Amino acid sequence: MKLLVCIKQVPDLESRFKPNAEGVWYNETDLAWRMNEYDEYAVEQAVQLREKLGEGTELTVLSIGPDRVVEAVKKALAMGADNAVHIQDPAAAGKDPWQIASIIAAYAKDKGFDIIFTGMQSQDRGSAQVGVTVAEQLGFSCTTTIVGFECDGGNITAKRELEGGIKSVVKMKTPALVTCQLGLNVPRYPTLPNIMKAKKKEITAIPVADLLKDEALATTASFHPPAKKGGGIVLEGDTGVLVDQLIAILKDKTAVLR
Amino acid sequence: MNFELSQDHKVLQSAVRDFVEKEIKPIAMKIDEEHMIPDELVAKMSEMGLMGSYFPQEYEGAGLDMLSYSIVVEEVSKACASSGVLISAHTSLANNPIYAFGTEEQKKKWLPDLNTGRKIGCFLLTEPGAGSDAGGTATMYRREGDEFVINGSKIFITNGGYLGTGVLFASFDRSLKHKGISAFIVDLKSPGVTIVKNENKMGIRGSYTTAFAFDDLRVPAENLLGKEGKGFNIAMDTLNGGRIGIASQALGIAEGAFERALAYSKERKQFDQAISEFQAIQFKLADMYARIETSKLMIHKAAWMKDNKMNYAMESAMCKMLASEAATYVTKEAMQIFGGYGFICDYEIERMYRDAKITEIYEGTNEVQRVVISKMLLA
Repeated sequence: MKLLVCIKQVPDLESRFKPNAEGVWYNETDLAWRMNEYDEYAVEQAVQLREKLGEGTELTVLSIGPDRVVEAVKKALAMGADNAVHIQDPAAAGKDPWQIASIIAAYAKDKGFDIIFTGMQSQDRGSAQVGVTVAEQLGFSCTTTIVGFECDGGNITAKRELEGGIKSVVKMKTPALVTCQLGLNVPRYPTLPNIMKAKKKEITAIPVADLLKDEALATTASFHPPAKKGGGIVLEGDTGVLVDQLIAILKDKTAVLR
Repeated sequence: MNFELSQDHKVLQSAVRDFVEKEIKPIAMKIDEEHMIPDELVAKMSEMGLMGSYFPQEYEGAGLDMLSYSIVVEEVSKACASSGVLISAHTSLANNPIYAFGTEEQKKKWLPDLNTGRKIGCFLLTEPGAGSDAGGTATMYRREGDEFVINGSKIFITNGGYLGTGVLFASFDRSLKHKGISAFIVDLKSPGVTIVKNENKMGIRGSYTTAFAFDDLRVPAENLLGKEGKGFNIAMDTLNGGRIGIASQALGIAEGAFERALAYSKERKQFDQAISEFQAIQFKLADMYARIETSKLMIHKAAWMKDNKMNYAMESAMCKMLASEAATYVTKEAMQIFGGYGFICDYEIERMYRDAKITEIYEGTNEVQRVVISKMLLA
């Protein structure tokens, strides 16, 4: 079986984000980077399947971006992927989900992958479009936001979590793509011996120009912090007065009391 | 020249950071209060490969380098200095001398258990009458057939309480001073080994500091490490590497305290502004950070020199001295920034303040480090 897991490197969410000079994305200077959280669930699930299937199964990890994304790729290799593809693109952050999906699909189309794993969305852009678009472009069956995964031969059973905690079960045939959600698994730590072993695993570099033929379908027009809100209202006086004031405000300004 | 960590080192750093954040940080206070690192944590650290980071995979080490090891000890010590010194004393002072001076048979026999944490290592040099002056070793050994018989006592043995694998130093003739000392690999579960006590300490309270008595401890002749009479050289060479470990521990303590003090200074408001708006606090932060970065550079240089098989004795002494003094300085200033809250045990600053002091004392006091540095300058 051939497995592919697609990962993105994103900034640490505790970073302070500032708009870049064009005001359409964040400034990347001085940010700390890590693997997108949902992609960690994808890698873990792919590695678990790889381990279960054993010999004859190959797990490839793919990431698009500048050289720094190789760090996330190496983490995935240390978690247990067999080899990697780095699609070199210093301008990946400016591409829309359609273009990113087109790049992945162009790479994957003649490789014979049986299952592709992705995170359900990235923590920075959060479009949740790339996985499903890859599946569409490749003609794969697809289900999203999975919290449970089983694979028996060419049959996949995926558990999904819906609003309100309701679960559903989806059955699909391979080739298929799944997008992974929090709760699917607990990603392993890359151990030191496995970090060492990962150094010997092959990372194939492909310039993005070799794969990207599509124009963007959407562009980000603006990236900015929310407008500053006015200060809060401080109520003063006796408790009875405070309660009356509060109820009046809640009735007037909110949907809490009608 | 490049001062950036390589991508491989960054992968390692973030892996260890995530591990520490989830597995160690939440229990660091408990480790200090209960004077005990839980066995489950030792098992998890072993599973993670933290116990044999820079030894070859043929001996079940992780096969990484000295810089990786330094990063491991630093990251662990940011959250828990007791766990940091467990790894440091084990790796630098037990695994390392066996790897550097052991025969192939000795390496095959002892290193896999140490590198995987199945046994915890310790270094038995210090005695009641032999601290900085290791030539004063009074633990004696004699040869009897295929065995060495050891009698005497050792104190302040980090990790001793685990009764794992020890590298023990003893003399066959005290009048020869340091030339009479030999090194032995000892299974501390052997008859003749008694724990006199595990010390109660001001800091690194989760770490064992053990006093031992040896009464006719019989060690197979094959456990002699290196040549007879060369034990002092083995000890000194071992401590050179160990100083990088302790410097990394001290650096971690300093960084842990700094991160908290920096965050607190931005949150704490007095006179209607964050205290970080006051120059008195800003200057403290600047002094703290400059000492941290200086220490880190010197540690990375010493580790790089060891990895490149250069003579790093002076750099290891300097990094240990600088980082330990940074740790006591930074934790002291961090407590001042925290004010009264820093003095209260619910915040972690007071623990870090207590943990920092030992780094100026063990693996060669900072006075000894200055002797090492100045001797090399004047040689």
